[in-house]
Amino acid sequence: MKRFSKTVVVVAALLSGGVAVAKAEGSSVREIVDHSNYVLLYQGDDCKGKLQFTITDRQGRTRKRVLNILRKDIGADGGDQKYFTCFIAPSDVRNMTFMVHKHADIGHDDDRGLYMPGLDLVKRIAASDKRTSFVGSDFLYEDISGRSPEEDDHELVETTDRFHVIKNTPKKGGVEFDYYLASIDKETGIAMKLEYYKKNDVLYRDIVVKEVQNVPAGDKMYPTVTRSVARDHEKGSSTEMIFSGIVYDTGIRDNVFTERYLRKPSRDVLR
Amino acid sequence: MIVEKLKNAMIDWAINRSRIVVALMVMVVIVAGAFLSKVVMDTDPENMLMKTEPARVFHNETKKAFELSEIVVLGVVNEKDSQGVFTVETLGRIHELTEFAKTLKWRNPDDPSGMEGVIEVDMVAPSLMDHMSQAGPGTISFEWLMPEPPKTREEALSVRDKALSNPLLVGQMVSEDAKALCIYLPLTDKLLSYRVYTALQEKIAGLEGDEEWHITGLPVAEGAIGVEMFTQMGLGSMLSMAVIFALLFFFFRTVHMIVLPILIATVSIIVTMGAMIAAGYPVHILSSMLPIFLMSVSMVDTVHILSEFFDVYDKRKGRRENIRQVMNTLFTPMLYTSLTTAAGFCSLVFAPIPPAQVFGLFLSIGVLVSWLVTILFVPAYIMFIPDKRLESFGLQVRETEKRGLLTRGLRRIGFVSWKHPKFVLALFAGLVLLGIWGIGQIRVNDNYAKRFVESHPIHKADVALNRHFGGTYMANLILEGDVSPEATAERKRVMKEEMTASLNDLGARFGIGRHTMGEIAKDIGSIAAGSDSEHAMLSGMIDTFDRRFQEPLLDEESDFLQALIDSAYRQEEELSVFKRPDVLQYVAKLQGFLESGDLIGKSSSVADVVKKVNQELTDGEPENFVIPESLQGVAECYMQYQQGHRPHDLWHMVTPDFQRTNVTLQFRTGDSRGTKACVEAVDRFFAENKPPVPLQYNWAGLHYINLVLEEKIVSGFLQSFAGSFIIVFLIMSFLFRSPLWGAVCMVPLTITLLMIYGVTGLIGKDYDLPVAVLSSLSLGMAVDFAIHFLSRSRSLYDEKKSWKSILPELFGEPARAISRNVLVIAVGFLPLVVAPLVPYKTTGVMLFGILTTSGIVTLLLLPAMLRLFENTFFKRRGCRS
Repeated sequence: MKRFSKTVVVVAALLSGGVAVAKAEGSSVREIVDHSNYVLLYQGDDCKGKLQFTITDRQGRTRKRVLNILRKDIGADGGDQKYFTCFIAPSDVRNMTFMVHKHADIGHDDDRGLYMPGLDLVKRIAASDKRTSFVGSDFLYEDISGRSPEEDDHELVETTDRFHVIKNTPKKGGVEFDYYLASIDKETGIAMKLEYYKKNDVLYRDIVVKEVQNVPAGDKMYPTVTRSVARDHEKGSSTEMIFSGIVYDTGIRDNVFTERYLRKPSRDVLR
Repeated sequence: MIVEKLKNAMIDWAINRSRIVVALMVMVVIVAGAFLSKVVMDTDPENMLMKTEPARVFHNETKKAFELSEIVVLGVVNEKDSQGVFTVETLGRIHELTEFAKTLKWRNPDDPSGMEGVIEVDMVAPSLMDHMSQAGPGTISFEWLMPEPPKTREEALSVRDKALSNPLLVGQMVSEDAKALCIYLPLTDKLLSYRVYTALQEKIAGLEGDEEWHITGLPVAEGAIGVEMFTQMGLGSMLSMAVIFALLFFFFRTVHMIVLPILIATVSIIVTMGAMIAAGYPVHILSSMLPIFLMSVSMVDTVHILSEFFDVYDKRKGRRENIRQVMNTLFTPMLYTSLTTAAGFCSLVFAPIPPAQVFGLFLSIGVLVSWLVTILFVPAYIMFIPDKRLESFGLQVRETEKRGLLTRGLRRIGFVSWKHPKFVLALFAGLVLLGIWGIGQIRVNDNYAKRFVESHPIHKADVALNRHFGGTYMANLILEGDVSPEATAERKRVMKEEMTASLNDLGARFGIGRHTMGEIAKDIGSIAAGSDSEHAMLSGMIDTFDRRFQEPLLDEESDFLQALIDSAYRQEEELSVFKRPDVLQYVAKLQGFLESGDLIGKSSSVADVVKKVNQELTDGEPENFVIPESLQGVAECYMQYQQGHRPHDLWHMVTPDFQRTNVTLQFRTGDSRGTKACVEAVDRFFAENKPPVPLQYNWAGLHYINLVLEEKIVSGFLQSFAGSFIIVFLIMSFLFRSPLWGAVCMVPLTITLLMIYGVTGLIGKDYDLPVAVLSSLSLGMAVDFAIHFLSRSRSLYDEKKSWKSILPELFGEPARAISRNVLVIAVGFLPLVVAPLVPYKTTGVMLFGILTTSGIVTLLLLPAMLRLFENTFFKRRGCRS
């Protein structure tokens, strides 16, 4: 009898200890995720650079997309942001521009605007989801503008020398994946590998960071992803995205993100 | 002389060494039979074409260039509900099946890293499609067409309205009347279609609700034909065997004797099929017909022997002498018939159709095997039967037979041929004319769905879905900018000149120094010389200019280079043929032309995509469903289209360099003559409408391949048939030592063919692959009868020297043998008529037609001719010999 109660005590102690650990991990998991989100999207008050996409299909045929991108934060890190992109190549869509007012609140759809010089049209876009292709590449709109940490449940599934591997499971349906694993670099906070799984743990796409550079901004250094590759295993295609000419904190004016500039982007954006 | 020696040697050996003969045969059968288990099936009709056949090569190139797959179509029809298929329940089940279909993929055994089965990313289903629409003024909305199954009637109707608002989906995914919907399941390999088909059928069987589900698509029909043909071949042959057995019993009354034809047929089939499999050939749909061909051909020989043996059997002589006498009489005609049949089938080896070559080769081998087995095994077998078992055989029954229906009937025929030869000739001349007229009416056409009887699920699906949709048969019309080396070189030359002109122009405008200008001009020259296409040249230039651009530059230099790069880009844009509005207008016009008639049900191309995107980007109004006026506008439409959930869909319609485009044409029927009419219409369109830039066009798609296949097969079989005809004629002229006798030997074959084709034309049955193949079987029958009849006439005439005197004898045993054959085989294969596959029905009917016609011609027309021209045929021969 005595022995039995002893066992109970031990088990109870173990259990409560376990719970305590899980709790501590739980909050730190969210911290890891939030930090990673910050590093990806919120470093500096603004950022400017050139995105170059090389899309390679199953047969090895490639096509290029080049666009300049501006970002400006509104308010605190993790909050709303404005984006402005302008196509450089292919030449036939040159000067096609795209503007986003991203809302951090997941109940609030982004405001997106589009200008097409060839058709001479300005359109607002109402999109029901963000998991559509970005410029026809294997990156999705959400890969560029970020997926809010609020949308998933996060679970630390593995810790290695370099990475926290976090399993992210969507809270709501309506996305094509079941969950995704993010291997977050412990040092920089950058998600070096994202693996998207469908039902029955079928890996169908991934994004791998190939190169990170420390970009100076004033007295700070911002680790920035400069080369990454998204692969779609179902389509057999992949896209390399190169981010170059990166400048942080250039003090982009607010009025750049207005419809007037959508039609006639400033020289800043074009160069 | 040689024939005499061979004859005696073989017959003696068979009679004296019967045990060895039987033992040898058993061994050969065991060895050949062992290979049967190694059988590999090839049910792919595409393999009817040579791997190097241009149409097949282009088809496969196209599939690769546009990443196209063969498609299984899962359709649902709801005629009962006023909302059609757009009810909460039906859409729910559609969604369930969509999800189920996604799981129909398996690890590929040949490629452990890959999967095979349904290609999920290319599936077409309501829950997987994008929807573009207006969301208030100045706002365009992008969303899933059916993000989740609707929960209310209103939601279901909204899915319907969305689907019907997209012209790309109407007639393809959703029917215009909203009563039907199709899910398209592209496959990694069309050979998986039957597997997918059966999995879907099982799943559907478990569904409730009163909508009808259908599965169709060419790969399904082809796959099902292949699979079901093999199973029915087994079933059909068994059934035929049973009937033949019964008929033989009716004629010969002795089980011991009538197992002979069946034994010999079986042995010939096993040995031939075993040899074919051992030689490494897969059993193709065509060679699956081998057993039936061999069975009928080998049966003819054995029935001749049986018949003769039965008629001449004399108890007092004993079996040895009896069989020797029979073999003596029949050896020569049987050798001749086997040689001619084998030679006739062998000519298929020269048809440009690989499976037909294999079929022809092994059919001839089979015929010779069956001859050998007959000559050796029949005497040996008879030596095994104790004399007393044959007590009731022959003689006794012969007495009744003499007064039997068959004997009396034959005498009557012989009498008619004697009494009214001119009438008989006139009658057949009339029939020949009728046949020729009928052949004029023949319609060459093939249709895979029609291989199934009307009650077959695949035939029903074909009818139901094609009633509601633009069609489930798809062909691809591929348009391409002129990429001939000459055109490329010319474009390159012009572009280089224009780049040099812009360089000088811009250099002057921005005041660029002579040194830099010289360097760049040199660059342009060397890049132009070193690149093999205008694309390579322009991108080489852009790269080189860009490298300069990256160096520290003065403002004007930087502007100059930017302008130079821009002009190279503008040149490059012009190369994207299918971004040019004028070219897209042309494509749209072509589609309009094809859709205006009955040629096709629906067509789709990038022109439709651009129109739809432009419409929604503008304001959604119908008048804006047009191609934008500028190339940039078109490019922007493409880019927007690719920003959806399915950017890759565009690459099924145009190649990423926009040099080649795929116009998908949907046909409502599988009739190949419909495809042919469409191909001709496209030729006409191109001849009458000059495209804005030089365009080449070509065809791909399984439905088109079927047309090519059919034309190849029809011409291939006709040619090889003509070849066989000549070969057989030559052989017979040689064997009879007289072209006249050779010619008369061809009469039953000629008339049989004329009749068969004539009737085919007259009753409006399509001349298709099964008919083409089966008609070649008449070679093995009609010539056979003629040889037997004529060689017996000749040997009898040699003895009696008068047609009148040999007539009764000729219409005794020889005629009885022929007519027994006709009855056994014609009736024996009739049970195939109940088969659910039309080619099997055709086989039954064709065999009946071939046998009865050639039998009647042989027994009625030949004697009439020989009587009328007795002097020509016999006297001259008599003088010479």
